[in-house]
Amino acid sequence: MKIISKKDFDDFINALIKDESWNVIGVKSRGSKFAFGPLENAQELRLDYDVTLLPPKKYFFPQRETLFTYDLSGGFSAKNPDEAKPMVIIGVHPYDIVALLHMDEIFRETKSDPYYFNKRKASVIIGVNMQKMSKWNFSAYMGCAVIDYGYDLMLTDLGNRYAINTGSQKGEQLLAKYAKNVTPALARDIQIAGQKKREILSLSQQKFDFPPEFIPELLKDSYSNSSFWERHSEKCLACGSCVLVCPTCYCFDVKDNPDISLEHGERIRTWDGCLLEDFAKIASGENFRATRPTRYRHRYFKKGKYLFDRFGFISCVGCGRCSSNCLPNIANPVDLFNDMYNESLNNGAQAITATTHPEVNIQTEGNIDYVPKLATITKKVPMTLSETLFEVKLDDGTELGHKPGQFVEVSVFGIGEAPISLSSSPTVKGAFELCVRKLGNVTTRLHKLNVGDKIGIRGPFGNGFDVDSLKGKDLLFIAGGLGIAPLRSLFNYVLASRNDFGRVFLLYGCKEPKEILFGEELAALSLREDVDFRSTVNFCPENEVWTGNIGVITTLIPQISFDPEKTIAVLCGPPVMYKFVIADLKAKNMPDENIVMSLERRMKCGVGKCGHCQINQIYVCKDGPVFNYSKIKGVPEAL
Amino acid sequence: MKPKVAFFDFAGCEGDQLQVANLEEDLLALLGQVEVVSFREVMKEHSDNYDIAFVEGSCTRLQDEDRLKQIRKNAKIVVALGSCAAIGGINSLRNYKDLDSVKKTVYGDQAKLFDSYAARPIDAVIPVDAYVYGCPIDRDDFLHVVKSLLLGKKPETPTYPVCVECKKNENVCAFERGQFCVGPVTRAGCNSCCVNEGTICWGCRGLVDNPNENSHKEVLIKYGLTVDDAIGKFRLYFGWQEAKR
Repeated sequence: MKIISKKDFDDFINALIKDESWNVIGVKSRGSKFAFGPLENAQELRLDYDVTLLPPKKYFFPQRETLFTYDLSGGFSAKNPDEAKPMVIIGVHPYDIVALLHMDEIFRETKSDPYYFNKRKASVIIGVNMQKMSKWNFSAYMGCAVIDYGYDLMLTDLGNRYAINTGSQKGEQLLAKYAKNVTPALARDIQIAGQKKREILSLSQQKFDFPPEFIPELLKDSYSNSSFWERHSEKCLACGSCVLVCPTCYCFDVKDNPDISLEHGERIRTWDGCLLEDFAKIASGENFRATRPTRYRHRYFKKGKYLFDRFGFISCVGCGRCSSNCLPNIANPVDLFNDMYNESLNNGAQAITATTHPEVNIQTEGNIDYVPKLATITKKVPMTLSETLFEVKLDDGTELGHKPGQFVEVSVFGIGEAPISLSSSPTVKGAFELCVRKLGNVTTRLHKLNVGDKIGIRGPFGNGFDVDSLKGKDLLFIAGGLGIAPLRSLFNYVLASRNDFGRVFLLYGCKEPKEILFGEELAALSLREDVDFRSTVNFCPENEVWTGNIGVITTLIPQISFDPEKTIAVLCGPPVMYKFVIADLKAKNMPDENIVMSLERRMKCGVGKCGHCQINQIYVCKDGPVFNYSKIKGVPEAL
Repeated sequence: MKPKVAFFDFAGCEGDQLQVANLEEDLLALLGQVEVVSFREVMKEHSDNYDIAFVEGSCTRLQDEDRLKQIRKNAKIVVALGSCAAIGGINSLRNYKDLDSVKKTVYGDQAKLFDSYAARPIDAVIPVDAYVYGCPIDRDDFLHVVKSLLLGKKPETPTYPVCVECKKNENVCAFERGQFCVGPVTRAGCNSCCVNEGTICWGCRGLVDNPNENSHKEVLIKYGLTVDDAIGKFRLYFGWQEAKR
């Protein structure tokens, strides 16, 4: 520990500001509140603040950030934003420092987010121990009120001087270069600093009735307690304030922002929040968390359970910003969890304990690439009134290299990006196919493009089908409507190495004959002896001809006989289809592990970050879209 | 060929068209993309041959309906411009009063010469393809809608309230400043411009699709408004929407 007088500390800050190679950020007053902002001199710095309006994450993950700019005038060129300027942030409270450590893990899991880490690596964090505590703060309960890791320098106010703890070489060097008269701490300083930290822990005006480490366990049984969630969320305005001010929330939206010439523009990402109405809505209009109680519940589960299961931490540092920003006063986690705890005790729950921490192994494989590869539409085959098959080639001549069941993010610059399943088998080289339904803005625009037009492609994303585990098995494909599109990538793969598989069935259903996709290919299947193909329509209008089966897809299941133990059923269709098909397969004694399905959600980033495709603890874009039924049958939002 | 654009006004102050006329350099860039064939505030010429019609003002008379229907017939795309056209706006305040006394207040003893009925947004009369909310409209939001239409894209309108933008802009909440705000139930898209300037949100962009009105009225009362004042806060701009809900 070192000591610096307040006068010398001010000189240190002013020296930093004078050296223009730094962005110097500190806590300043803002009306009756406080906010991090650029410092013009040391006098502006308010280290006696209680809490800032927004956490310092805004400097690493800004409210609005350009991912790249594009220029369509000479073909296409995309430019990444510039490198970050070195930044020093002064006056970060310990809980906000811990929150940054949470963000670090989230933004580097699976793939690293270069926009976040460029700025994070170029920054120096000077923390300060709390001198005042917001009345909503419960960071002491979350273990985040005093810390000994995560900062470059940490200050403790000792009256006329600061005690400085050094947390990194970066911090040490900053001090050596810009600060004068820094002396080693005396024994008395160490004692006073220790006493100050003890006092901080007793400043809390919030009170948990139980140790917060019980939260993940407590949540386990509360999911289906809908009256609890309805009661607590009754006054929810769905305004998103609680999540927008949260230092550990990281969900975002991605949008295109063309300029008025329409030829140039930028793709931006902005903060989003799972409390907001359209957060889990997909282009077809289906909203997977349409009601306030389900979104309200999702927030608590994400913080207290889902991220705990993945990272081993409760995603809350106790800053209390959510509570203080909620006008109807229903966002205070302390109140909610106390109520949940007491209710479960009243309902005769046995003693609740802490969940064992999960094994955490964060792997990073390269950077996320938000800039799409340029690609050309090489074929456009209209299939129905609203569906078209596009053949696409990457302009750099490389193969997409996908697995059956994966998807890509398709960009139409100026409009945006949409997730589209790959319809072609990877055994077909040189190009890939996308069967696209005209639904949202991107897909509607895509339908207006022609052969030779340029689009952007990111991916492939998702896990795809585990092809090796299917080898030697009998396969029962069940496709409803557009569900044939992703299944076709696997089906054609199977046909390409037909001898590796046992019997193959394909059951395909759609609303009416004019909606049939891949009609010619399917007709050719009927002639094959090594495939049992059957199709059905829900109804046939009077002026159309249909000689086949009429009825929903499940009416085809009794028509075939298969060995449930030896057969793997592969399902894809509209959300409503799964429930009925699974029930019928189970009635035929098919084990859960033999049912595999592909799910559709709002997959925006494709890399498990933006949060839109999340169903309970699962990120569909990363953990799926292909799931084994045995793994998701207990996931309430999945089916 | 550049799409032909026309502007029309009904019951309103024409402040939204003024915002368009005040686009400055953006207006020149915009004129590179569209051909304006009718715009009473800035030009004498008029043509009935247009693709996109921007309609300002609410519909307050039976005879307005014919004119609206004719615009709908001529245009491929009809855009409601500003609060009066989009949500009924401030004009709808009068729907809560006796129509005869309203007419008397405005026209005095000539009242019987003027025909009028309850003020309403234009989509109560004709189908509307896109909306530019606000009183007045926000210029950037107007450009956003125009760019979307030129790209053949349905303009994305926030379904979340102004609080989202307020939080991103790191404003001190109006309630913390001892003021009363309807931002928590008002459709965003204005970048919380009024609160950024230290005032409150009056609700000019209308209610979000699924507002929790009762909860927010409770909030207003909890923070010290009388029930009547809370209702008044909601009526200023939400009058038509509330009556419909």
